[in-house]
Amino acid sequence: MTEADIDADATDRMLLQRMSAGDRAALAVLYRSYHGRLCRFLSRLTRRSDVIEEVINDCLWITWQKAGTFHGDSRVSTWIIGIAYRCGLKALRQHGDEPVDDDALSEDRFPAHCPDEDRELRDWLAKGLSRLSADQRVVIELVYGLGHTLDDVAVIMQCPVGTVKARLFHARVKLRNTLPALAGDPPIRKESMP
Amino acid sequence: MKLPTDIGKDCARAWDAMPWSLQNSATRDQDEWLNQHLAQCEACRSEFELQSRLRLAISLPQDVPVDVDAGLRRLLARIDAPDTRAARQRSRTSWVTRALVAAVLVQAIGIGVLGARLWSEASQADYRTLSQASAPLPTGAMHVVPDDTMKLADWDTLLHTFRLQVIGGPNEVGAYTVVASDGSTSSRDTLQKLRTTHGIRLAEPVANTP
Repeated sequence: MTEADIDADATDRMLLQRMSAGDRAALAVLYRSYHGRLCRFLSRLTRRSDVIEEVINDCLWITWQKAGTFHGDSRVSTWIIGIAYRCGLKALRQHGDEPVDDDALSEDRFPAHCPDEDRELRDWLAKGLSRLSADQRVVIELVYGLGHTLDDVAVIMQCPVGTVKARLFHARVKLRNTLPALAGDPPIRKESMP
Repeated sequence: MKLPTDIGKDCARAWDAMPWSLQNSATRDQDEWLNQHLAQCEACRSEFELQSRLRLAISLPQDVPVDVDAGLRRLLARIDAPDTRAARQRSRTSWVTRALVAAVLVQAIGIGVLGARLWSEASQADYRTLSQASAPLPTGAMHVVPDDTMKLADWDTLLHTFRLQVIGGPNEVGAYTVVASDGSTSSRDTLQKLRTTHGIRLAEPVANTP
């Protein structure tokens, strides 16, 4: 954990403490602080903005209610992302799984300022992720996007570290198979894959 | 690049180290070792470039538009509002609890009734012990001993004539216990007539023991 991570966690703990005393301003700060991360994390599970907002609000609602019961066994961010993961899975059961697909990358989804290079990169990533299972997409996002360790991911997904390793390994192998070809490079020989 | 399952230990180690190096969570030694390995292994270098591009793509701001202010307003409104969702949940839970309690009560009552019935049936055993008093015979019952030669048709006619029915016997001496078929008390007159009837060896009133 870097110095910045330690500082961020200390801030989050202080916010939780204030929230447990009913401080809504602290909730607002925490909400804004986590909104971007949660949006991107949840967008690996669903492309529906209404569902993403619903899950974020469910997650922060639970965080608000349970702020006083946080014992500090993990980082606050690990705890909150774990809640979001479970809320996200629940929402998927209610609304149906909508994996990342090519249609999700229609023109109107990108911000107006999105440079072409970014768009190309997003397109490349989305096509690669669409080949993965929901759990593999989540592991990739947690490790490469949110920068969690394997132990953190195991806590978030409530599974053994070995399972996380396996998911990460298979996700990387799949991406190795597909991403170079999507970028116009020669495809990787399939027979070398397990 | 081959997979780390079928290559040298260095490439496998490099494969494992890449995500953490990209995260900047690897130690300085790990980073240095990885850089040295990448400098001499083209396959791992290519993989690392792919991983770097993957991390860059994943780090882009998310592209699904979700309004943070609107979301926060809705969350605060949800906190301010009476907890209707929780109340509904509680209410639903309460109804479920009540229904379960009612079901348990009905079952308990049913089991109680069945138990009582079984107990009462069990208390009326199909057998009688020697210490139990025999069931008292109805008033007016008589012991009648027909002659051995009496035909069954004659015995039936006799019973019909005197409006009698057999309720027991024959016992070890061939005596039948009879009572009036209409439920009335057999009269002394009937007894006298039976005694004088041909084919009846004995007719005596039953004396109930107190």
